[in-house]
Amino acid sequence: MTETVIVTQGLTKAYGHTQALRGLDLEVRQGEVFGFLGPNGSGKTTTIRILLDLIRASSGTATVLGLDPRHDGVALRRRLGYLEGDFVVDGRQTAGELLRYLGHLRGGVPPARITELSERLGLELDRKIKTLSKGNRQKVGLIQAFMHEPELLILDEPTSGLDPFLQQEFTAMTREVTAEGRTVFMSSHVMSEVQKTSDRVGILRDGVLTSVDTVESLRASTTRRVEVHFDREVGPEAFADVPGVSELSVSGALLRCRLDGPADALLKVLAAHTVVSLTSVEPDLEELFMDRYGQGPDAEVSA
Amino acid sequence: MIRTVFAKWLWDSRRFLLGWTAAIVFVGCGYAAFWQTFEDPEVAELLENYPQAILEALNYTDITTAEGYLSATVYGLVVAVLMIVFSISVGTRIVAGEEEAGVLDLTLSHPVSRLSLALQRVAAYVTAVLAMLAVFWVAMVAISGPASFDSIPVGRLAAMHLHLAAFAVLFGTLTYAVGAATGRRAFALATGSGFAVLAYAMSGLIPQMEGMEWVRDWSPFTWLNGSEPLVHGLDGGHLAIMLTLSLVFVAVGTVAFQRRDLAV
Repeated sequence: MTETVIVTQGLTKAYGHTQALRGLDLEVRQGEVFGFLGPNGSGKTTTIRILLDLIRASSGTATVLGLDPRHDGVALRRRLGYLEGDFVVDGRQTAGELLRYLGHLRGGVPPARITELSERLGLELDRKIKTLSKGNRQKVGLIQAFMHEPELLILDEPTSGLDPFLQQEFTAMTREVTAEGRTVFMSSHVMSEVQKTSDRVGILRDGVLTSVDTVESLRASTTRRVEVHFDREVGPEAFADVPGVSELSVSGALLRCRLDGPADALLKVLAAHTVVSLTSVEPDLEELFMDRYGQGPDAEVSA
Repeated sequence: MIRTVFAKWLWDSRRFLLGWTAAIVFVGCGYAAFWQTFEDPEVAELLENYPQAILEALNYTDITTAEGYLSATVYGLVVAVLMIVFSISVGTRIVAGEEEAGVLDLTLSHPVSRLSLALQRVAAYVTAVLAMLAVFWVAMVAISGPASFDSIPVGRLAAMHLHLAAFAVLFGTLTYAVGAATGRRAFALATGSGFAVLAYAMSGLIPQMEGMEWVRDWSPFTWLNGSEPLVHGLDGGHLAIMLTLSLVFVAVGTVAFQRRDLAV
């Protein structure tokens, strides 16, 4: 039985005449990494700030860890870790000072835990924050979100400014969180980022969730580009009727086609020949959503 | 170890607070030391020849005694203005300044309620005001002999400093309230400064107009030193007005702060 840790129903938020959310229904389950994906201005940050009670919804309900953010904000935030999309702090303090203080606000985080995380990410704790690069500041933000091992991590664009090594470390950290049955809810406007870390992905467009699916099933239900080299010329006849195969082209010993759905049937037919090489290019999520919605998730939504 | 929003605010503001304390001590004591020249009978005579209206506008009506001089110049003007500027500047920062700088989200994403954050910061500001004026009091007591105003009992000086603290907090809490309610630095700054200018005009210029004498009773400057705390000690009525207004400002500002959306 999986618990849901975030539930929103018909969540709306209006800023004057601008409708930032138009009835958002969202469910995030315990122990998963949920990728909350959408172009800039689609309402990701608005949703997150409602979950933390930094702003209030115009209508609809939100429940986080079984609590109402509006009325049990303090109890709720005790069990959360949060990283803002734009992590800004007073730069005149050192990273260590800030993290120890924030640890105290959370009721105490062992100093060893802060040291361990800073060593893992390569952050110098005794440097003043204003002297840190953007990437290093982001590390401070990540550490403060992870350090007290919260039940739920809400991360707004967590990997912005991180180099590939740190992105990998971040992915590992989220895996450790979910291995312990804890949950990560992260927003992003970059597909590849969500693809690496998430179990399920929800797509937000213009303030509504347009689809939710697992990264796996998105992949399974999709198109691959297949290229096969044989040791001799083949005819197209044998392949034309294979389930899922389309856009077939055979020239000499080279076969190219598009494959929808499982690869099994095609593989069995290929096995009758001597295959020199086989490439199957999986589309990344970016292409998948281009297919589904005709527009890439990175495309700006005009206001 | 910094464990609370209260302590964090004081620690983060330490250089700012030390700077202001130094400014108040030096400027305040500097003006106080100037009293000796006014003690000169010739200066007193000179002042008597000034038009009464100008002296009234400047609150210099009783400048020939140590109490009158200190009350009019040091406490009624120079240090009063410094404390107002300090208080408006802090009142602006408590919520609105931090919010506009984008650093408020982090604290409020922790298990800290808005009520607690606001009250801890206001308490830290009031603590800072009391501490600064306590240091200034020690300095005034120390120079009272050499500057020849040691005829004023130290208890009366303390009473004056308490009046000044309540006076400063009035401006700080109003500025805080507007900032907390709106999240806008500019609104807070404008309201605090406007109130200060109005208060000053109400104590000097406006009462000189025909039939406007009554306005003087409602100026914070009158609540500050109109009862001559240096001569008579604490004035319960004036202190009560200032403290009650401050509490109302804090209450209204904090309630509004809890109800609104925070800016990104």
